[in-house]
Amino acid sequence: MNDDGLDPLIHVPTRLKIVATLAALPDGDTLSFTRLQDMIGLTPGNLIIHLRKLEDAGYISSEKTRNGSAQKTTVTLTRQGRAALGTYTQALRDLLGGLDRDGTADHEHRRT
Amino acid sequence: MRGDTVNHTSDTTAAGNGGTLGPEQAAALLDQTTQQARRKFQPSPPWLLVTRAVMVLAALGAIWLSVRGQHPYRGPTAADIPVLVAFIVVNFAATVAVRRHATAGVSGRSRFSRGEITVLVLAIVAAVVAMAGLGAAGVDFATYPTSVLVIPGLAWTVLMAARANWRELATGLAIVVIGIVGAFAGPAGAWAVAAVGLCVMLLGSAAAIAWQQRA
Repeated sequence: MNDDGLDPLIHVPTRLKIVATLAALPDGDTLSFTRLQDMIGLTPGNLIIHLRKLEDAGYISSEKTRNGSAQKTTVTLTRQGRAALGTYTQALRDLLGGLDRDGTADHEHRRT
Repeated sequence: MRGDTVNHTSDTTAAGNGGTLGPEQAAALLDQTTQQARRKFQPSPPWLLVTRAVMVLAALGAIWLSVRGQHPYRGPTAADIPVLVAFIVVNFAATVAVRRHATAGVSGRSRFSRGEITVLVLAIVAAVVAMAGLGAAGVDFATYPTSVLVIPGLAWTVLMAARANWRELATGLAIVVIGIVGAFAGPAGAWAVAAVGLCVMLLGSAAAIAWQQRA
């Protein structure tokens, strides 16, 4: 966790989009790599890098299946990943609830 | 979560691919991505349900207008049948196309299993067989248009209960209720019950889905 209590693994635009997209599916449903790429709008190489980081943390799992000469990769958000997104969302709510009217956070006032 | 104070588009662009995010930007991005994903994965989008509601009201309402003055009741005219068939074909094709697009690349509970599809097809066949059997036995309401809704509605209700999908379960129950109410409306009145009942049910579903997508 960083200073804000936000999970640094999710608190990156691309990975936040990946996790939020997968979380929109019912628990346990998988999404093909190509559909995810289409929805996020990333190059395959970029998407693979971010998926690998999320998979190393146990937030997603991926599976490769081969059908003849074609290989299909599917990804799914794990329960750990869904819980991490829930924690992240709550941390964001707490932070935004603590924002002043001028948009500065309470904890920034406390630091100064 | 809603980022009410932040412009979504500029936030997303400003945040970039690997840049840093402020809490407000993150909240806006999360909100925007979640809503977009829910819309794209939705097999019954509100626009389709509203279109279907208008179509069902127009098609079945037109038939009701043509049969309501019949004494004795003779049923839809030859001119009404193509309208009804066209409505069923267009409705089925649009539903399949939109569902296929929404669930492309998705595996799991978002898609119907073969067993569920078999149950639904058998329910439709059973409804037709039951109506034919009861009609041959001289039961009046067997030939009402709403009677065909009861068995498929019950099958849908059971399937959605098994999936713990309460919104769709309510849809199934509404279809069953329309079928039962139609049985008391007389042969011509049943067309009006079907037209208005299904239209209201579809508009209700569209409103519920639109609300869920924004929640």
